[in-house]
Amino acid sequence: MTLTLKNISVAYGDKTVLHDISAEAETGQLIVIVGPNGSGKSSLLKAITGLLPFKGQTNLPQTRAARSRALAYLAQDATAPDGRLVRDIIALGRTPHIGRLGKRTESDQKIIHDSLLRCDILDFADRPFGSLSGGEKMRVHLARSFATQAPLLLADEPITALDPYYQLAVMDALKAYAADGRTVIAALHDLTLAQKYADRIWVLKDGRLIQNGTADKALDAKTLAHVFRIRPDGSRL
Amino acid sequence: MRLRVWYIGLCLGLLACLMGSLFIGPTSIPFRTVLDGLFGRGDADIITIAQEVRLPRALLAAIIGAGLGASGAALQGFTRNPLAAPGLLGFSACAAFGAVIALYFGLDHLVTPAAIGLSLFGAIAMTAFSRRRPGAAGLVLAGIGIGALATALTGLIMNLAPNPWALSELVYWLMGSLKNADLPDVYLSGSLTLIGLTFLLICSPALRVLGLGEDTAQSLGISINRTQLLLVAGCALCIGAGVAVAGAIGFVGLFVPHILRFLTGPDEAHLIPLSALGGAVFLVLIDMLIRATSGPGTPLYLGIITSLIGVPFFLWLAWREM
Repeated sequence: MTLTLKNISVAYGDKTVLHDISAEAETGQLIVIVGPNGSGKSSLLKAITGLLPFKGQTNLPQTRAARSRALAYLAQDATAPDGRLVRDIIALGRTPHIGRLGKRTESDQKIIHDSLLRCDILDFADRPFGSLSGGEKMRVHLARSFATQAPLLLADEPITALDPYYQLAVMDALKAYAADGRTVIAALHDLTLAQKYADRIWVLKDGRLIQNGTADKALDAKTLAHVFRIRPDGSRL
Repeated sequence: MRLRVWYIGLCLGLLACLMGSLFIGPTSIPFRTVLDGLFGRGDADIITIAQEVRLPRALLAAIIGAGLGASGAALQGFTRNPLAAPGLLGFSACAAFGAVIALYFGLDHLVTPAAIGLSLFGAIAMTAFSRRRPGAAGLVLAGIGIGALATALTGLIMNLAPNPWALSELVYWLMGSLKNADLPDVYLSGSLTLIGLTFLLICSPALRVLGLGEDTAQSLGISINRTQLLLVAGCALCIGAGVAVAGAIGFVGLFVPHILRFLTGPDEAHLIPLSALGGAVFLVLIDMLIRATSGPGTPLYLGIITSLIGVPFFLWLAWREM
């Protein structure tokens, strides 16, 4: 789906953390949001998900049930009970489609299996969540968000806890998910991976969208200096 | 499959405990005679003992145990904290405060409505207080605060008790007992607990999703507000109905769900009904034990025995999990 954001503003009490964000994320694209800590990346993803009240408009459904089918959200601090099995956690990604009491159909089981495969976690599908490492837990939640099969996936720093191999594996999986005719928006800190994978990059600074373009244009020398206080060679200013 | 075995086992266990409970009491009566009395046959005294003393007491123990067990499981699921329990979150304290007010003013016939009323009032206060930030953190803060206030006010009333006899009545009542159980108590407590359990069962699938965190659960279509409202109302009804007829019975709501989570897995959608069955079995068993061991002059109190038996078992489990 093409996501349209019009003048999105978010405030915590008196403090405005997002100012008039307007942008479009087209079908098939992987959008990466970058910006320093506190620039509003997580707030923007939460506002789109419906977790934060905001001013402005999106073209997402207004009702909770319809929105939960239209988008999947991968939280930065995603958790689960230690004793719950990986397969059961991923099955919860189907909640918007089968309801809280619904029984999983064969098609649900296939989607759950595909999600396990996409995230390379089939080997520990029947292990309890508490026995996994931090990186494995993040991949379980990525698989859970894939299992919703929503046309829009919002991922908040999905690779922070991962080793280099799985950082690349997860970015490949997100890219493949977008290539299936969906839209993915991920907040990242790693500018190199952002440039490598993103179809478009949104650069946030102090709650404002100051760049929206392809990787080479959005992260030019001027933006790197102004937003991140670094040079194109990676050294600090 | 494994869960089905637990359901069937606990149902059969509850049935066996209820049957066994009818057989135990200060008057030794053969089982067959008690059964005849239960169905209105035989000696008039036996009929009275079976129908008006032992049956209500056994049923009430099961009803209160079910309410406490299910409430504990639901609270632990919602807060994602195994230490959350009806006692910690102030439901029991509010209900006890209501009952103590009625007892203090000598309005013994108003103990039940006062306990249920204050329990519901506590639930409304918790909901109102945590409105600014619905969810586990808000509910725990509100629950602990309101519970502490209710406990302090209960202490104040005991402090102001006009004489030692009145004070001892309050203290004994707070220790929890089923010795005055009668059939009207069963109808009242049973119907309120049934409504409360229904609320908790309705919100139990949402609690399963809430295990993934509040943000993730909301993104999957779960309403925190609706879930919290059902949970708080369900707990207030179950716990209020129990405290109203039997006093404060601690620890059941904490350790029964804890044990069952350990044995059956952390799935709230099953843990709530299983904890209801487990709580019922546990409380009927404890009440049987009390009846079997209490002499005429030394009645043991349910609230004390549940804790004395529950705590070592709970500590053993906690030690194993460490």
